[in-house]
Amino acid sequence: MDFTYSAENLRFRDELRQWLSDNLPIGWGVTVHEPKDEDERARFRLGWERQLFDGGWSGLDWPTQYGGRGATLIEQAIFSEEMARAGAPDGLNIIGRNLVGPTLMRHGTEAQRQRYLPKILSTDEVWCQGFSEPNAGSDLASINCRAERDGDHFVVNGQKVWTSFAQYSQWCILLVRTDRSLPKHQGISFMLVDMRSPGVTVRPLRQISGESEFNETFFEDVRVPAENIVGELNGGWKIAQTTLAAERGPGDAMARQIRFKRELDDLIVAAATLKRGSTSAIDDPVLRQKIAKSIVEIEIMRLSCLRSLSKLLKGSAPGAAASMLKLYWSHAAQGLYETALETLGFLAPLTDGDSLAPAEGRFQLGFLQSRAFTIYSGSSEIQRNIIAERMLGLPR
Amino acid sequence: MDFDFSDQQYLFRETFHGFLEQNHDLKKHAALLEGDGFDADLWWGLADLGLFSMLVPEQFGGLGLSFVDMALVLEELGMELVGAPASETIVATDLIVRHGSEKQQARLLPLLAAGKLRVATAIAEPKSGFGDLNIQAQAASNSNGWRLNGHKIMVPHAVMADLIMVAARIGPSQELGLVMLEPQRKGVVLREQSTLDPACRFYAMTLDSVAVDVEDFLGGAVPQPTSLARLLDVSSAVAALQLTGIAGKVLDIAVAYAAQRVQFGKPIGSFQAIKHKCADMAVAIDAARSAAYYGAWAIAEDAVDRVKAVSMAKSFCGDTARQVCNEGIQIHGGMGFTWELGLHWYLRRAKVLEFSHGDAAFHRERVMAATLAELQRQE
Ligand SMILES: Cc1cc2nc3c(=O)[nH]c(=O)nc-3n(C[C@H](O)[C@H](O)[C@H](O)COP(=O)(O)OP(=O)(O)OC[C@H]3O[C@@H](n4cnc5c(N)ncnc54)[C@H](O)[C@@H]3O)c2cc1C
Repeated sequence: MDFTYSAENLRFRDELRQWLSDNLPIGWGVTVHEPKDEDERARFRLGWERQLFDGGWSGLDWPTQYGGRGATLIEQAIFSEEMARAGAPDGLNIIGRNLVGPTLMRHGTEAQRQRYLPKILSTDEVWCQGFSEPNAGSDLASINCRAERDGDHFVVNGQKVWTSFAQYSQWCILLVRTDRSLPKHQGISFMLVDMRSPGVTVRPLRQISGESEFNETFFEDVRVPAENIVGELNGGWKIAQTTLAAERGPGDAMARQIRFKRELDDLIVAAATLKRGSTSAIDDPVLRQKIAKSIVEIEIMRLSCLRSLSKLLKGSAPGAAASMLKLYWSHAAQGLYETALETLGFLAPLTDGDSLAPAEGRFQLGFLQSRAFTIYSGSSEIQRNIIAERMLGLPR
Repeated sequence: MDFDFSDQQYLFRETFHGFLEQNHDLKKHAALLEGDGFDADLWWGLADLGLFSMLVPEQFGGLGLSFVDMALVLEELGMELVGAPASETIVATDLIVRHGSEKQQARLLPLLAAGKLRVATAIAEPKSGFGDLNIQAQAASNSNGWRLNGHKIMVPHAVMADLIMVAARIGPSQELGLVMLEPQRKGVVLREQSTLDPACRFYAMTLDSVAVDVEDFLGGAVPQPTSLARLLDVSSAVAALQLTGIAGKVLDIAVAYAAQRVQFGKPIGSFQAIKHKCADMAVAIDAARSAAYYGAWAIAEDAVDRVKAVSMAKSFCGDTARQVCNEGIQIHGGMGFTWELGLHWYLRRAKVLEFSHGDAAFHRERVMAATLAELQRQE
């Protein structure tokens, strides 16, 4: 066990700090924030991601041959800390970096890796994930979207739903049924679909927050080259498990932790300025307890990511451990936003657009968005089943 | 960076696990309510495995290991309800290594390494509350030398201890420090207390003009104003590890029971209401481990964020043990409520540890204060 920074680590940190202060917009986090318009925000995030890439900070843990930096675990940890400290924005190509990358590195052919991975980091190609369907959510293996062989192509027909970022994506990892005669887990294939292909229609859905990050995605006679199948034909379920484990694992959680930490710091600042009668909210002992509880929980999220990554580096399989991490952070983060609203107290109902809304309604938006944490990437109930059955060995 | 233990550290745990599995069980634990409550066989068995020499530097006959090396072992001890005097002796060893004078180290550390010195700590007082703010016990000097006066409570196994480490204000400056004395000294009166966990063997201790010497002060003539804060932090870190161990054990017991207890023609563990409880417990315990292990590292390194790390661990592990012990009993139904089955021993120990050295609310407040200070430093 070792958390100490070597001279080399400190150099890495100072270099990153310098880079951040040179590259974040002037007044970032104080007077300058992310654009409010969704499309503008998406462009802003992609632009930031591009800047990170140009600076050599993207794909920190990816191997260098695919455009990554091959950073050590401690460098990843330092990166998260510094990004949180600077309040750096999120990127847009989250699915590309966190899901497609690890999946192709594990199951893709070398040709597929060479073709797709570098463009993920360079932000030339944004990805979305076409797994869920109207009748296949938690029971993902019931997907109906089908792909039929036609010469050296497959022809895809069907519908996906809740497809995040589809409107900004050039590519999609798509789960399709390629053999109806096989049991449901065995007739599924994993393919890479160009979203610009004829027959792909994306229709944004309005979310609880009023935003439209996710979509309905329709596929009508979409032709996909056979070489775009990942792994074996009808072997897609196993590959999807890698994607799901990555979605629930420490890499994804570490990036989210940065955001939650930033929210917490902002919340503490807000609590120090908000009045409760004659004193500040931050002096209220009940509130202090709740904020401290969130501080502890979000800090443990970081520690658990580091513990998980340390074990992964020694070669242990992610599996159900990823479900533990996801179940943990999703509830911890929901707690954080509940506490945030309690901190705002009587001003809590005011949202962006009202001049009196604290922090321009950021916490209210975060609160609404947080309701999804326990639904996507496998709902909490599904994670609990996985943990209880696969880790604890309880009967089905 | 590496947030995992080494093979050697896992091996240590296995060694202690194997020994405790062979030599300790709930029946033996329950027997501790009889007699003096001290299991000498267990003590010497643990001593033979090197438990008490781990923290002692090699030059004093120890293994020269760090608190990180102790972490998994302390969790293991927690699982098997092995607490004071073993746990407190380990805490005291850390204090003597960090704050003892050369003379004290030369005299005490070899004895500690050999398991020949049992130490209890005496911090809390009837009106002290948590922490050290309101400690009243006082060592003052007059023409006859130093005298120690005060009232301490919940001193574990005080009659069986060779040495008691007492938190007190010292001299005219009233600086907090630690005084080490034998319970046999004139003016020390011990009264056994009735507590939620009778196996803890807590004593109230009255110190009535007890003669002490500068050599009894931890650090000797050199004041050690930070020693009590460290004692509280090390004790909290140890409690957090033990609480985590208890929670892990209770989950194991509950899962085993849920898998075999049949109702409505099925194992109760196949019902989601039970299954999901178990999953939530597992997740809480995993998070508790992250906190408790990091706390151990912060203690070992005396890290800048020691206070925050320890308080995170103590608050979270206390809450976790509370949740797991309660749910563990619930999953056992009526059996869980019996004296015979013995789940209550875990509940009792966890409850005592939860309220020792600061409860979750006390430690959360420390986290809040430390975080505000951090943010201020960053500005
Ligand atoms: C913001 C957001 C973004 C998303 N982005 C994507 C994306 O990019 N790509 C993608 O493919 N999908 C995405 N999803 C979809 C997400 O993965 C699904 O919503 C999720 O898997 C749940 O499926 P469902 O919505 O069909 O709910 P259902 O499966 O119908 O579940 C409804 C309720 O029943 C419970 N339930 C279901 N089965 C069980 C069971 N066996 N035991 C106990 N309880 C059960 C669930 O826990 C839930 O509470 C996104 C969802 C959200 C909210």
